[in-house]
Amino acid sequence: MRKAPYLFIAPFLIVFAAFGAYPLAYAFQLSFTRWHGAGQARWVGLDNYLFLLTNPEFWESLANSAVMWLLVVPVQIVAGLAAAVLLANARLKLKSFFRVAFIAPFVTPLVAMAQVWIVIFDQDYGLVNYVLNADIGWLTSTTWSKPTLALLFLWKTTGFAIIILLAGLQAVPAQVYEAAALDGASRSRQFWSITMPLVRRSIAFLVVIQTLAVFQMFAEPFVVTEGGPYGSTTTAGLYLYDHILASDLGTGAANSFLLVLLVFVLSVVSVRLLRAKDE
Amino acid sequence: MSSRPRFWQYVVLILLAAVFLYPIWWALSSSFKPAADIISDPLSLSGPTLDNYRAMFADVPIGTGFANTALVLLVKGAMTMFFCPLAGYAFAKYRFPGKDLLFGLVLLTLMLPTLVLIIPLLLEMSALNWVNTYQALILPGSVDAFSIFWMRQTIAAIPDELLDAGRVDGASEFAIFARVVVPVIRPGLAALAVLTTMNIYNDFVWPVVAVNDEAHQTLQVVLATLAQDITANRIGADFATVWGELLAAGSIALLPLLIIFILLQRHFINGILAGSVKG
Repeated sequence: MRKAPYLFIAPFLIVFAAFGAYPLAYAFQLSFTRWHGAGQARWVGLDNYLFLLTNPEFWESLANSAVMWLLVVPVQIVAGLAAAVLLANARLKLKSFFRVAFIAPFVTPLVAMAQVWIVIFDQDYGLVNYVLNADIGWLTSTTWSKPTLALLFLWKTTGFAIIILLAGLQAVPAQVYEAAALDGASRSRQFWSITMPLVRRSIAFLVVIQTLAVFQMFAEPFVVTEGGPYGSTTTAGLYLYDHILASDLGTGAANSFLLVLLVFVLSVVSVRLLRAKDE
Repeated sequence: MSSRPRFWQYVVLILLAAVFLYPIWWALSSSFKPAADIISDPLSLSGPTLDNYRAMFADVPIGTGFANTALVLLVKGAMTMFFCPLAGYAFAKYRFPGKDLLFGLVLLTLMLPTLVLIIPLLLEMSALNWVNTYQALILPGSVDAFSIFWMRQTIAAIPDELLDAGRVDGASEFAIFARVVVPVIRPGLAALAVLTTMNIYNDFVWPVVAVNDEAHQTLQVVLATLAQDITANRIGADFATVWGELLAAGSIALLPLLIIFILLQRHFINGILAGSVKG
């Protein structure tokens, strides 16, 4: 009885110690050294951090991710909420069809769909330009490369967001709305005064996980654009991978900790902002 | 509260469903078209032909990719499905010294971006001589914090009386888990199975770093190298052929999960709905 819970948790602890805590501590130490994967690592103090913070490429990668965030998160929350409100209607027909259709992209392999994106958005032979009868460089111009990748991300994850928001909406008892309607509250008044406060937790949850996901975005630019054109889709996650390719492991480790710090701050700020109006 | 959904609401939902489903349908249906038609006439259907599939099987080791993914899925998935509910049970239903600290560890791991661990994990793998091995693909990230957290939420909802009844009969702690807890949380386990399958099947960042020989590449990594071949073949004469192969590979990769998802969709969506309300 006494030993049982420890035994039950032991597998997690072993895996965490070996492949979580140990590499994390190692990475932290590594971030203060210069090392190229062979020979002796050299202690350089804060040099790696200073190098990154004064490096335009580092800031550019963050800026690219920030633009991606702007293209993804607000759109997803607003559109997702609108769709969830429609889906929450108890008298809606075909409800389970819509739920399955919306979430189907979420279960498709990202790499496979990233390739479909290459084909669909090709400038010369792609479906989109064919339908629009246009000659737009969706993946080859710096204007369109980010929106096209953002669209892939939105396509893939918005269904999941809709289900999460739907869960928040369904937690609102129907009587609350009935009471509000009896008191003469208009539809939009009901939405802002009842629905919004109650789904705020779901929104906060989504903002946090999507912020994490956008700043770690890797497979989309890696497969579709390889970070181009002209570095316009080199996201923070892909830039990190560049250090690995260059065997510049100390800088890479420092970069990952800066990224963690940033993501952490962004998450806390967004949760605070969304909570602000609560009490 | 629900008023009857208006006609325009159906129009909006159906359009949205079309946006989500069309890329999948287009990739699937185009993969059965003669390669030249994919470029010259992307909208209409022609064929069907298996030429793209034949060419693809001849050109790329997609069978190896499938076999490797299946192996990783089987072992890693079994570990997740066995150890995570067990740990979740310990956190949900036992009181023991250090519990808060250990659960804090789980929550911390939950927040940790995968990208931070990539570099040190890669170094750890090379120190262990594990680069290009199955254990490198399987062990890191197994017994994951999210699944433990989620199972804890699910199991916490089980009334204690149910467990105590088992204890009176003198059953061992593990027997209570196996005979009392598991049958009750079966819907949650089904959702966990879908989610775990999806995560392992679609995992890309770690496999692409941990493995660089063809013999151990997972399906997603095989797919990704295919994409790079496409970009290399950009001006090649057999551009259309390459696209045909690409769509064939993508279709084969997305079908298994899509089928599993459609079969288990109710468990999966309800699992997300239930889990996120409590979470």
